[in-house]
Formats: sequence, structure tokens, C-alpha cells
Amino acid sequence: METLNDAAPKLRLRGVRKEFVLPRTGERTVALEEIDLDVKRGEFLCIVGPSGCGKTTILNMIAGLTAPTGGSLEIDGKPIDGPGAERGVVFQDYALFPWKTVWENIEFGPRYRKGSALAKSQRDERVRHFIDLVALNGAENKYPYELSGGMRQRCAFARALANDPDVLLMDEPFAALDAQTRVILQEELLRIWGETGARDERRTVVFITHGIDEAVFLANRIVVMGSHPGRIREIKTVDLPRPRKPEMRASAAFQELVEHIWQLIRDEAYAATVKA
Amino acid sequence: MKADAFDGRRMPERPRHGLAGYRSRRLWDAATGVGVYLRTMVVFLLVWQAAALWIGNPILLPTPVDVAESFVELAGTGEMITNIVVSVTRLVASFLLAAVIAVPLGFAMGLNRTVFEMIDPTVELLRPISGIAWIPLGLFILGIGDALPTAIMFYGAFFPLLINTITAVRSVDRSYLNAARTLGVGRATVLLQVIIPAALPGILVGARLAAGAGWMSMVAAELIGAPSGLGFAVEWYRELLMTPKVLAFVVLIGLMGYLFDRVLRAVQRSLTRWAEPRNA
Ligand SMILES: Nc1ncnc2c1ncn2[C@@H]1O[C@H](COP(=O)(O)OP(=O)(O)OP(=O)(O)O)[C@@H](O)[C@H]1O
Ligand SMILES: [Mg+2]
Repeated sequence: METLNDAAPKLRLRGVRKEFVLPRTGERTVALEEIDLDVKRGEFLCIVGPSGCGKTTILNMIAGLTAPTGGSLEIDGKPIDGPGAERGVVFQDYALFPWKTVWENIEFGPRYRKGSALAKSQRDERVRHFIDLVALNGAENKYPYELSGGMRQRCAFARALANDPDVLLMDEPFAALDAQTRVILQEELLRIWGETGARDERRTVVFITHGIDEAVFLANRIVVMGSHPGRIREIKTVDLPRPRKPEMRASAAFQELVEHIWQLIRDEAYAATVKA
Repeated sequence: MKADAFDGRRMPERPRHGLAGYRSRRLWDAATGVGVYLRTMVVFLLVWQAAALWIGNPILLPTPVDVAESFVELAGTGEMITNIVVSVTRLVASFLLAAVIAVPLGFAMGLNRTVFEMIDPTVELLRPISGIAWIPLGLFILGIGDALPTAIMFYGAFFPLLINTITAVRSVDRSYLNAARTLGVGRATVLLQVIIPAALPGILVGARLAAGAGWMSMVAAELIGAPSGLGFAVEWYRELLMTPKVLAFVVLIGLMGYLFDRVLRAVQRSLTRWAEPRNA
């Protein structure tokens, strides 16, 4: 298996709790309880778990958009106290700017980011590259409302990548895509992440998904979460060799892992679905 | 949804005819629109004609034909043009003044709690008072002239713009702000590239309401406090007991207000092309 540098985690979560207080009733719900998690530098970490178990909440806290109720979150040993361009996010609801075209959305980070020193020509080249990557050619001048759900998702994906973040936080980024596009983008994502390159040049990815096979295909480790309250049930290491090949999906080792994780969350998922 | 909604044969057809077909379609739509409008007008005019005949006194209520005659008589005369120019100039001046003050103030109040809490009580106190209530005081301070109607129209336009700007700024979807912040941009960019465009549709709705409110207060202010303008003309012909002309100017006021709204609606459309058409 691949060994990752344990000494200096990229992200460190210690005893992270999150409670939401309903403003009207003052009622408290514990969304997350005592989350301890190290995300290693250059690691591809997937989070799976039933709906409502707090996956998005974890991601928002790492992004610096929500403060934890208790515990601490660190990036490179420094406490996270707000959002930053080094942590790019692909949001579950895309959050594309409706008043900007596909091109302008993707251009947003490189163009307006604090301290961005890209010349217009370099910027255009970069935007063009990512538009090609997510196959949005021909839709450059469309507004988000003119796009299909899958196109919006690809645009959001490209917008985050074009800003060249160190840590990529992705909330079910491929959920709205058809199976073929999803497989293509999974492989592209691994390439962008740096699967084939030197290990210490890889980005760090935290990737939320409902697809267990997607998690197994992509991840170094998979965090399996449970709900009521949201917590980590198990962290599973994926021992499949890299670069990952589509053929591996059929292998016994792959299927075994999928089955194992499925067993873990089946009861949780069932309970969550029946409750909802 | 009906079970047969997915039946391929019953799916709505996409327009296949080219540009020419599209044009004729547009023409047809426009013609239908005019048709509906005319039908409504005919009913209105018949009721008016019947009422005028029943009252039987052209000074109290002239017939639509009388009014139309006066209107044609007035059309294109220097008198009509001057009054239109005077009133529209006042509207534009008061509207711009209101926008220049209310929109930035609305942003400040929408973005900052302290500013909001400092100013909101005053706003809530003044807002329910109609601009017309200030005309007597305005007469004392400003006298008769351009200043009074402009000030009253400003007052009328100010609050719709302010309230709509505050609401628009406050209801900017958090997810856009979050997206911008995770892309690492500064506060100025968030304001210019996210909050302003996101709030724009709401502000433009406020602008249309403001223009309407300003135009309405204009008539009242000019009736009393101005030596010129459409409202003044109404009052002038009332004193002369020339009711058809009074009504001709009333019709003109309605027409101008409608045109102004059409202009603003066109501005609104061209500024928010990105917004999903509600009923395409
Ligand atoms: N802003 C909020 N206010 C109150 N409760 C919230 C808020 N955001 C999330 N929650 C609650 O916290 C819990 C976790 O929500 P979260 O969105 O993180 O779930 P999730 O794992 O991402 O679910 P899904 O897979 O459906 O996206 C849920 O019970 C949710 O109701
Ligand atoms: Mg979620």
C-alpha cells in the first residue's frame, strides 16, 4: 500500500462538535459529536454516510464557513478561522453566480482573488483549459439558468479547480452526472489530484459522496459516518494500487471493500431513510 | 401531474419554424395583446359614455368623445409639450436624487446592523406619512415653484427605493457569499461582484415602485404648489370649468406614468438578462 506522511497532517480535527440552535424555539440539535480526524498531506479522503449525518457540516467547518461549537480545526498546524483560497470548495448546491456566464464563473477566482497575479492571457488560457476539461465548450456564454443540472455541476467543479487550491473540498460533486460523465470526471479528478505524479506534489482532497464504489475507486481512506448524533464509525484504508484503472472496479478486492462499507452503513442508511 | 404527461405525442412542440416563423409568432402575440387591450377599453369607454349621458352635464362628466376631441386639440401644442417636459423633468430629477441617496443608504442599512438600528426608527416613523401631508409645510419653506413638487416627489420615491434596497441586500443568498469567500476574494469584490448583482433585481423592483409613487405625488404637489406642469394644467382647466381638458390632462398623466414604467421595465430586463425568465 501507499504510505503517507503521518508526521504532518494537512488538516487536523480534534474533538470537533457542532450544535445547531433553532432560533425560534431555542432547541439544540447535535449535528456532530467528537470528530477526531487527520487528513494527511496529499491524501484523497472520501466521506460516506447516511443523509443528514453531518458530512456537509464537516466540510463547511474545514472551509471556514461555519465555526465549530467545540474542539479545534487546523490546517498546516494553524487554526482555521475563516475561508481562504487555498481551500477550494465544490458546493453540494453548486452556488454558481447566476449573473455570471459559465466563463465568468470559472474565471472568478483567478481574476478577483486577493494577490492573484495572472495576466489576462494566462487567465484566459487557464479558463479555456478547464472549460475543455469539463466539456463545457459552446456553453461559455450561457448563464447558469440555461444549463442542465450536470452542466452546472461541471461548471462548479471547474470554478473550484481553476483557482488552483491546495486542498479541494468537494460535496457530492458528481451526483447529478450521468454514469459515463461521472466515470470520466473521476479519472480526470485523480489526474488533477496528481495520481500519476510525484507523491509530495499531490493536493489534498476531501470528497463527500453517496456512491460507495466511487469512494473506493478514488480514495486512500474512506471515513464511514453514522448519524444521531453524527460521528465517525470507521476509517477504512483502501489498499488498491495506483494509478487506479477502470478494470479494478470488477476485481474481488474492490467488490469486497464496497460490500464491507455497505454493510457498515446499511443499517444507518435504512434508519435515516425511514425517519426522514 | 397527469399520467399521460410523458406521452411523447402530447409533449409540447419545440418551435421548429425558423426566424421568419418566430417573427410572425411575435406579431401574432402582439396583435392578440392589442386585441385584449382594445376589448377592455371598449367596455370601459361604453360605461363612461353611459355614465356621461346619464349625468347629462358635460361640466361634471364629459363624454369620452368630448375628451378625445380636447386631447386631439391639445396634442402637439406648445402648452402640452411644455407641461410634459416640466413634469417629466421634475420626475427624473427627484427620482435620480432619491436613487442616489436611498440606494447607498439601503446598502449601508442592509449590510450593517448598527447603521440599520440607528436609522430604521426614523424611516418607520416617516414612511407611513404620505408626501401630500408635507405640501402645506413645503409651501411655507419652499414656496411655489419647481422646488416643492420636486421635493414631494423625492419623498414619495425615496421610501420604496430604500426599503426594497434593504430587503434585497439582506436576502442575498448566503451560498453566493460563501462561494466568493472560499475563492479568496476581498470584501470590495464581494460587494461589487456578488452583493450588488444579487440585489439588483430587488432594487429595480423598488425603482419601478418609486417612479410610480413619485409620479403620483407629482399631481398632488403641482395641483397646489406649482405654476406649471401636468398637475397644474389639471387645476387650471378645472378653474376654467373646462372639464374635457381636465380629463385630457388626466389621461395624459396616466399615459406618461405608463410610459415611464415601460422604460424602467426595459431597463430592468436589459440589466438582469441573467435572471431566469419567470414565464418564458
Ligand atoms: N444551518 C443549519 N441549521 C440547523 N440545522 C442544520 C443546519 N445545517 C445542517 N443542520 C442539521 O445538521 C445535520 C447535518 O446536516 P448536513 O447538511 O451536514 O448533512 P449531510 O451529511 O451533508 O446530509 P446529505 O447527505 O443529505 O447532504 C442535519 O440534521 C441538519 O438538519
Ligand atoms: Mg450534504
